[in-house]
Amino acid sequence: MSTPHSWPDDPDGTAGEYVLGTLPPEERAAFARALDGDAGLRALVANWEARLAPLAVATPSVAPSPATWAGIAARTGGTPGAVAGGAQIIRLERAARRWRVAAMGAGALAAGLALWIAAGPRPAGEGAQYLAVVDRGGALPALIVRVDLGSGLVQVRSLAAETPPDRSLELWYVGAGAAPRSLGLVTDASARLPVPAALRQGAEGASLAVSVEPKGGSPTGSPTGPVIYSGKLVRD
Amino acid sequence: MGSAQRNGDLARLIEAVAGGDQAALRALYDQAAPKLLGIVLRILRDRGAAEDTLQEVFVRIWQRAGSYDSRAGAPLVWLVAIARNGAIDRLRQEKAARLTQVEEGWLERLPDLGDGEGDLARRDALAHCLGTVEVPQRECLVLAYCEGWSREELAARFGCPANTVKTWLRRGLISLRGCLEAA
Repeated sequence: MSTPHSWPDDPDGTAGEYVLGTLPPEERAAFARALDGDAGLRALVANWEARLAPLAVATPSVAPSPATWAGIAARTGGTPGAVAGGAQIIRLERAARRWRVAAMGAGALAAGLALWIAAGPRPAGEGAQYLAVVDRGGALPALIVRVDLGSGLVQVRSLAAETPPDRSLELWYVGAGAAPRSLGLVTDASARLPVPAALRQGAEGASLAVSVEPKGGSPTGSPTGPVIYSGKLVRD
Repeated sequence: MGSAQRNGDLARLIEAVAGGDQAALRALYDQAAPKLLGIVLRILRDRGAAEDTLQEVFVRIWQRAGSYDSRAGAPLVWLVAIARNGAIDRLRQEKAARLTQVEEGWLERLPDLGDGEGDLARRDALAHCLGTVEVPQRECLVLAYCEGWSREELAARFGCPANTVKTWLRRGLISLRGCLEAA
């Protein structure tokens, strides 16, 4: 099935056909993947998009039904409580990405974080590392969690996570379809906690959550209080 | 100039959306969704599928607004590209053959679009240059771009092999580019 792709021979023609939509599906998918890493191809595509756009803009407008916006609002965090599981993950991924953008910009807090990420301890082990920005839905992360399978440690950096009086914040690991597992209490300073066995087996797609518990942690071993933060693990 | 101001508005909204501002997403939706739905519907020809795709398109805009670079191009071009890609990808996933009816008048509609959309000079140049492309090539370009016709569908319409359509498309693109760059 490895038909040779035409873009090395005719990059501009392939870019033009990509924009037209006439590349065969397999070549279209391969070209879309190639675009991610090739600014030259992206520029060719952008040129064709700009050249042809007036033709699309000439299409008569059609008013969408109200349900269409409702669906978008639900999937972009506009209606709290009405968010489906899949949409929640999208929003959390977005939160992490936004934080990364913020960390590259100005702002003392963001700059400090970027430094911590860049210069933070990197154990010699070769195990996979994961970084989670545990977010409250706002623009800034409340917690940054690094899971290092090589050294077997979870590192928690608390960023102004407000602990209610007489309560403790507890960090949970939630594997896909599994019951939450406590990783320990979140303290104000950075904390290091051992990686549980379930997490060592690979944390792809897992998420982390922080709940409000009685002082000293959940008495039952499962979250009992409201979950105030949650975030998905992304590879660092 | 109206279109420049409109572009500025759209660019500012996209920037706000990149910052997670859902009210800005709503404002962007109010401004652009009817146009984008028109574009998607023309390709998919099914209202339900088109509204579904419009949802995906705005979720994608929400996710990718941070990657929009106003120096790289007009905001409407960026939005149109996301909408068309969403529609084309959906169309190609649906294996069932669809009835392709030719809608005439794309070229005619281009110059007399009087609602201040887009950049007048570019639009006139495109209309002029499409007019210089040979007939079967031009029809292939327009049907593919505006209505999502595949090489195979075009081949069936013109009674020729799909490879011939590919050649027409690429030659048509070269003619178009040459004319636009000379304009």
